[in-house]
Amino acid sequence: MQSVRTAPHDLAAADPVARQTRAWSERRTRTALGAASVVAMLLAWWAASATHMVRPDLLPSPADVGKAAVEVITEGYRGTTLLQNIAATLGRLLAGFGVATLLGVPLGLWMGSNRALHAAIDWIVQFMRPLPPLSYMILLILWLGTGDLSKSTLLFLTAFPIIVAASAAGVRGVKLQRIQVARALGAGRGAVFRHVVLPSAAPMIMTGLQIALAAAFSTVVSAELLAATDGLGWMVISASTFLRNDIIILCIIILGLLGVGLASGLRAIDRRVIHWRGRE
Amino acid sequence: MSRSIPAWAITLASIAVVLCAWVGVTEGGLVRDLFLPSPADLWSGFLELIDEGYKGRPLLVHVGDSLFRVGAGFVTGVAAGTLLGLAMGYLPKLDALAAPFVEFLRPLPQLAYLILLIIWLGIGETSKITMLFLAALPVAAVAARDGVRNVPAERLRVAQTLGASSWQVFRHVIIPSALPEILVGARLAAGIVYGTLIAAEIIAGSSGIGWMILDAGRFLRSDYVFVGIIMLGLAGIAIDRALLLIEKRAVHWAGR
Repeated sequence: MQSVRTAPHDLAAADPVARQTRAWSERRTRTALGAASVVAMLLAWWAASATHMVRPDLLPSPADVGKAAVEVITEGYRGTTLLQNIAATLGRLLAGFGVATLLGVPLGLWMGSNRALHAAIDWIVQFMRPLPPLSYMILLILWLGTGDLSKSTLLFLTAFPIIVAASAAGVRGVKLQRIQVARALGAGRGAVFRHVVLPSAAPMIMTGLQIALAAAFSTVVSAELLAATDGLGWMVISASTFLRNDIIILCIIILGLLGVGLASGLRAIDRRVIHWRGRE
Repeated sequence: MSRSIPAWAITLASIAVVLCAWVGVTEGGLVRDLFLPSPADLWSGFLELIDEGYKGRPLLVHVGDSLFRVGAGFVTGVAAGTLLGLAMGYLPKLDALAAPFVEFLRPLPQLAYLILLIIWLGIGETSKITMLFLAALPVAAVAARDGVRNVPAERLRVAQTLGASSWQVFRHVIIPSALPEILVGARLAAGIVYGTLIAAEIIAGSSGIGWMILDAGRFLRSDYVFVGIIMLGLAGIAIDRALLLIEKRAVHWAGR
């Protein structure tokens, strides 16, 4: 990802050791600059609130947010601790996303390799995919009640079409020559699927999983804003009715970090598992 | 196998089967129309919405309100994000400075900061459009940055060798090479903005299709809910296809 463009006229670039050192030092500069800009931003925030440039009821100071963090970690917020709320949000997310992965990848693979099935199901997937999940939340509440089941189903329906479409597209994108070569060399259907189709489709499936997780993460918080009694989304909306801006900002920071963590976690798995990505 | 039957015929048959099952289940009284209205109910609900509008406003006004918000947030967010991304791709130092914020904003659930924007900017259009702007911006920025970064180094060197100034390189080499990725990013951003808008209207709104769906749901008018959802689905597909068409027209050189 962090591609370091080495200047080709630089003789050092030809030397692998020098190139490695250069890459390291560029990465260090990058991290330092990134850290500096975050610190600068925090200082600006602190200065803006310390000099009362913005009203404290609109933007609490970093210290206030820190105090709020200690408060919700130790005492909790309206009866639930911060960790319980994080666990509630992540639990819903993983339930919906996990089931969508377990069902969506096989269905997508099957659709990708069976034209008739693809023709029969693809229109449903294509209709579901751009549909804003919250628009059918109200139906799920009507059908399944306001409990966790309707929320997990919502997340399932958010992630499922993305995963199915990516898996099917991955299989359909496999080069015909590769399959023909494998068949010509005597591979059976199962062997072709395992050794040719699956590895070729895997990068696209993993990309689909990453997009689906991001979509589900954003949906879980929206769902909790609408109908929930715990979770980070609930915390945000509840804090807003009590004008606790410090807790809102704290939740936004936690949500952002969680989002970054989830995305980079899946990216790390991607790099591990799909080590052949981009070298096809 | 099914090689003789064309794919479109199977798709049509599948649509027909789903419709028949829907009619059968609803007309046969297997589910109450509160949970699943029949296709006929849907159609009459749709005609009613067209004739009378919803809650004092014509249907087209709700559609227009939603489209205006999506358009405003999408255009401003993608324009700003693309400019930022181009600069980030061209200037690695700027990239290092801005990346933490872009990477933080990108996976952040948009509705979480909508609450803050409502406190800061009020509950009107400004807070919604600002949220959509912030939803589109990081997606477009990352796409443009990666587009610039992935320009093959030989192309830059050839242009430089031939005496192009840095502006000329940027204008005639980097932008055309990065454009395919920028447009893919724009399409991704459109999807996110579209999904987020409906959520925003559901949380805080008094007009728009998202609001109509939630409000109709509260009054248990599931026919209106279904009409709204189907309209959203079709409009979503239309937006995506339109952007795909623009992409193919505008970057006819992609992949070559």
